Amino acid sequence: MAGPAPGPTATPPGIGARLGRLGIMLFPALLLFLVAFGPLVTPFSATAFDPAATLRPPGPTYLLGTDEFGRDLFSRIVAGAQPTLLPALASTFIGILFGTATGLAAGFLGGRRDEVIMRAMDVLLSFPALILAMLIIATLGANMVTLVFAIGFVFWPRSARLIRSAAMELARHEFVDAARARGEGTAYIMFREILPNMWGIIVVDFTLRFASAVLLVASLSYLGIGVSPPTPAWGLLVKEGQPLLQLAPWVVIFPCIVIAVVSVGSVMFGEVIRRRLTLPDRRILA
Amino acid sequence: MVNFVVRRLAFMVVILVGVSFLTFLIVNVLPGDVATTILGDFASPEQVEALRERLDLDRPVLQRYAEWAAGMVGGDFGVSLKSNQPIGPILWNRLANSLVLAAMGMAVAIPIGIALGVVTAVHRDSLLDRAITATVVVIFALPEYVTGLALIIVFSLEWNLLPASSLVLPGQSLWANPMTLILPVAVVALGMLAYLCQVTRASMIAALNSGYVRTAVLKGLTRRRIVVTHALRNAMIPTLAEIGLGFGYSLGGLVVIETVFSYPGIGQFLVQSIQNRDIPGLQAGVLVVAAAYGIGNLVADVGSLALNPRLRS
Amino acid sequence: MTGAPGHNLRVEGLSIAYGSGPRTLHAVRDVSFTIARGEAYGLIGESGSGKTTVAFALLNYLRGGVIRGGTIEVAGEDVLAMAPAALRDFRGNRAAMVYQDPMSSLNPAIIVGEQIAEALRRHRGLDRRAAWERAVDLLALVDLPGPAALARRHPHQLSGGQQQRVVIALALSCEPDLLILDEPTTGLDTTTQAVVLDLIGELRQRVRASILFISHNLGVVAETCERIGVLYAGELVEEGPCATVVSRPGHPYTAGLLRSMPRADRAAALRPIPGSLPDLTRPPAGCIFADRCEVASAACREGRPGVRRLAGDHLARCLFPERVADLPAGDAGPLARAQGPAPDDAAASLPKLAIEGLGVTFRQRRGLPLIGRLEETRALDGVSLAVPRGQTLAVVGESGSGKSTLARSVVGLIAAERGGLRFEDKALAPRAAGREPDLLRRIQIIFQNPDGALNPQRRVLDIVGRPLRLYGRAPAAAIPARVEELLALVRLGARFAARFPHELSGGEKQRVNIARVLAADPELIVCDEPTSALDISVQAGVLNQLRELQAESGLTYLFISHDLAVVRTISDTVAVLYLGRVVETGPTATVFAGPHHPYTDSLLAALPEVGRPRRPAVAVPPLPGGTGRGCLFAPRCPQRIPGTCDRLVPPLAATGDGRLMACHVPLAGLAEAQRARDAGGRD
Repeated sequence: MAGPAPGPTATPPGIGARLGRLGIMLFPALLLFLVAFGPLVTPFSATAFDPAATLRPPGPTYLLGTDEFGRDLFSRIVAGAQPTLLPALASTFIGILFGTATGLAAGFLGGRRDEVIMRAMDVLLSFPALILAMLIIATLGANMVTLVFAIGFVFWPRSARLIRSAAMELARHEFVDAARARGEGTAYIMFREILPNMWGIIVVDFTLRFASAVLLVASLSYLGIGVSPPTPAWGLLVKEGQPLLQLAPWVVIFPCIVIAVVSVGSVMFGEVIRRRLTLPDRRILA
Repeated sequence: MVNFVVRRLAFMVVILVGVSFLTFLIVNVLPGDVATTILGDFASPEQVEALRERLDLDRPVLQRYAEWAAGMVGGDFGVSLKSNQPIGPILWNRLANSLVLAAMGMAVAIPIGIALGVVTAVHRDSLLDRAITATVVVIFALPEYVTGLALIIVFSLEWNLLPASSLVLPGQSLWANPMTLILPVAVVALGMLAYLCQVTRASMIAALNSGYVRTAVLKGLTRRRIVVTHALRNAMIPTLAEIGLGFGYSLGGLVVIETVFSYPGIGQFLVQSIQNRDIPGLQAGVLVVAAAYGIGNLVADVGSLALNPRLRS
Repeated sequence: MTGAPGHNLRVEGLSIAYGSGPRTLHAVRDVSFTIARGEAYGLIGESGSGKTTVAFALLNYLRGGVIRGGTIEVAGEDVLAMAPAALRDFRGNRAAMVYQDPMSSLNPAIIVGEQIAEALRRHRGLDRRAAWERAVDLLALVDLPGPAALARRHPHQLSGGQQQRVVIALALSCEPDLLILDEPTTGLDTTTQAVVLDLIGELRQRVRASILFISHNLGVVAETCERIGVLYAGELVEEGPCATVVSRPGHPYTAGLLRSMPRADRAAALRPIPGSLPDLTRPPAGCIFADRCEVASAACREGRPGVRRLAGDHLARCLFPERVADLPAGDAGPLARAQGPAPDDAAASLPKLAIEGLGVTFRQRRGLPLIGRLEETRALDGVSLAVPRGQTLAVVGESGSGKSTLARSVVGLIAAERGGLRFEDKALAPRAAGREPDLLRRIQIIFQNPDGALNPQRRVLDIVGRPLRLYGRAPAAAIPARVEELLALVRLGARFAARFPHELSGGEKQRVNIARVLAADPELIVCDEPTSALDISVQAGVLNQLRELQAESGLTYLFISHDLAVVRTISDTVAVLYLGRVVETGPTATVFAGPHHPYTDSLLAALPEVGRPRRPAVAVPPLPGGTGRGCLFAPRCPQRIPGTCDRLVPPLAATGDGRLMACHVPLAGLAEAQRARDAGGRD
């Protein structure tokens, strides 16, 4: 009965905003390239010592300078994309996969099953993310597989909680009642009626959680948990460089900047996706 | 109200039992023998067997859990494998130090974060809003050690104003040199503030778009009264609950911050326990952190409840 | 300032647009009207008419809208020219508004007394104590019980009707020159609406404000206002004295609205208005209604018709107002009725659906999960009804009557705990999951909210095609063709098959819902308030559609509604539900003829209808706490027999005229009481 909803009054984005958005969309492509081909395109070896070129400041030969063993920092950062981003990507995928399955089941089935599942998730949520990951890695032993498992495990309840509330909200819609009254099976309703309406949420959750996975990997490797030298994981570069902060600040500053750019970029990418996806189905996603 | 707090407390106890069980389980049941993990792959079978005996690893899990949990409740946190000292006293001291850090950080972050959230929501889409929101998103996306090292580079190395480390010598009080607290507190506060600003902004925008704020505007009230009495009061309900989550977030962040500044808190304790393969210390530390997190959430929920008349009655 | 006689509110040539560029929505165009002091003016319009935009514009509150022209004067002051400070002094003080949704317009965190008192402190300069006392007085003025205690409650502790009275008290607090009522009773139950309307009528005598009453409901406006304006797609198409506009409309749109309105006082065929709203980003150069008009000619499309004075102050923006009178009246249409099949064999004489002593109790956990306390609500309590084959049984009741629970139990969405369901000669399992596919297919449901019932991610083709696939009604290759046939059956073109739900209007969505149901080739369709989310002119089309389908294929309907007029139009038999129990059931004509069960009577009395005086509402005591004994309606019943009604549950017994009624008062007694009351009401 209300009058026409006040339409959006925003002016069309200017050329600058459009370019910015294009940059953000190219961002994941760059990351994927680094993960896939990073170790192949480094100008120098990422791990070999060069006693003749220790602690060089950034310059034309060594773009970002060298560390105390003469290793080229630029090469180390490019090669470090793989050990930093690959576990982040894999663990996000695992966490979201299990989280979606659990959240969908709990949210749609409801009742006692939902309560039991969600209380178990509450227990997992009582650990701060980094600490739970540390605990798991410390017990299972530090390696790449453990790292991926630990972060995926940490994401599981967080993703499940989000998907559950989305599934509950969707399950209240009458199209779900209509399907039930028609005699559709549980699997059909979950996967054909509810899940297609959640892709937007899942994709956005993925991008934002990926950003947080990068942070977790970087923090864990900074703490020396999960990856060990000489792997040039970005967090490890910072940890190793910290004693040299006064002497050769670039050894710390550049890895920090890269971590910041990737993390901020992932968050912004998530935001762009979120805005784009919520437009047509605002009612469902809101 | 009292009823709610009692129930919420009971709920927390249930969760804590689950948490302690899980902590115990992760360490004791996951593949890989704890004794081997502690001693490393090069330990001799005799050494492993000796440690297994010392840790009672050959007895049933549930029985060991019951004894461990009973000890925890009674304040007995076990003995450190590294120093052979009781864990309890060290842990409490470290926890107290961490809580000082967290409390001071929150004391700075809560008012500023909420104020920024209100300002950006009221002036939504203005240049000011965009500038603040962008800064906050960036800060929130940075690992704590990046923020910490940036502050160290600027304030310690460039300007030489503040100490870069909070190392406390044995026998010295945390307060012996209060200047050392400033940078770590700043890092805790920045992260919290960035988080709270975003949460407050979102709930304020929802409140400002609500029907009751429209009523307040069309009542002819002053802008100040509309924002503070009508919008903020309702926006604080979800925000307060989020402060509880933010508290847990900052507890996790403490692990990194304390390592950056060599601050003698519980985060550093956990990292050291891992480095020393001191499993009993790690277990006790994790449990204490989870308990602190639980209490923080409880306080936030009760505060949120006190503001929400719908739940209060 | 306020001494000036004549027009207290003057709106001249008001135009409002949303957005900019080629997608500008011209929501309101060249609207002019005046309201004198003490006069009530009704503004009628369907969704998209711009009536709410006009209402907020009067307070210079546009939220994204831009005034493209025109002036608004209240008590001689130009509202659109006010500086922010002057505007703040104006709003809530010289002009105040009552909103459509009282719950969301009151602040949930502040006690209601304070929400009124703050306005008094702001505009009247009262101190805390005086403002509070005045607020309590105002709550008493709007007939709220125990105003001093009620003032200290939070909004969520009040009922919907009480909340709306608080909003009215707030609007009246500073004795405004202009009082805007924006759909003040929409969303309230019929009996609650009656109480609020009575209050508004009574307050009208006391306040000297100009009242602008905005509604989609002609009946509500007709009883409250002296003059009425009809808004269509942002233009005022007709204006005049209420009685004149309603009896002799001067614009084809008004006439169309009147003919599409179902009535409770007589059975009438409906004539929907064909077509849909024009695209207001490109309003036509000619008459805004020409495309849907039955009397339009080429001249109508050439230029915008001027305002014609029909008589006195009866105005219409139409070139041919005299043709309106020649339009066929709604009643002239044939009353399409399915012939009840002759009960020649045993199967045919069985009811299509038999509901036998159905009972449903809801348990909700309060407080925390797992350990919270369970609260029980009886939604249905021993309901027994039969739906004859090929006919329509309407179940009518207010919110909380259990009518939707009944609908959902029949299709197996809610499992009944007691009693049973029988479809022809087969017992139905309580849950849909336990029913065999063929039974599921034969019983289908249409939901209230046409929007929510369609999966936003699916195209119409998939939505309508799904039952064909699920029940194996068509081979995969034949599905698109069959979907096209089904769409044609509900008057949607084949082009709709490729669309997504968000590309459809409300009426089109509901037609897709009907098409999906028909795809199953059902025998019984449960209609759960299928038209209550639709505009009146669209509702008429959907109701006619349902009736035609019944006439053609002998469908049986279980029709759930809160709207007595719709029920009278669509049903053969009626059941009236109150708090989960059937209080009266029988052939529609007999039930509406009376004498009525006291609850049915209160519903009918509360219904505002064009050209039929509404009786003042009976003061309703707080809802029954439910002693668990006796008649549930007894606490509200004017004919209550003390000592009997509050002790013994009245059985549902035959009255001798084909009905069943649950009342201790004999039919003759009810007839006498209602006759006496009607006679008294006329004086």
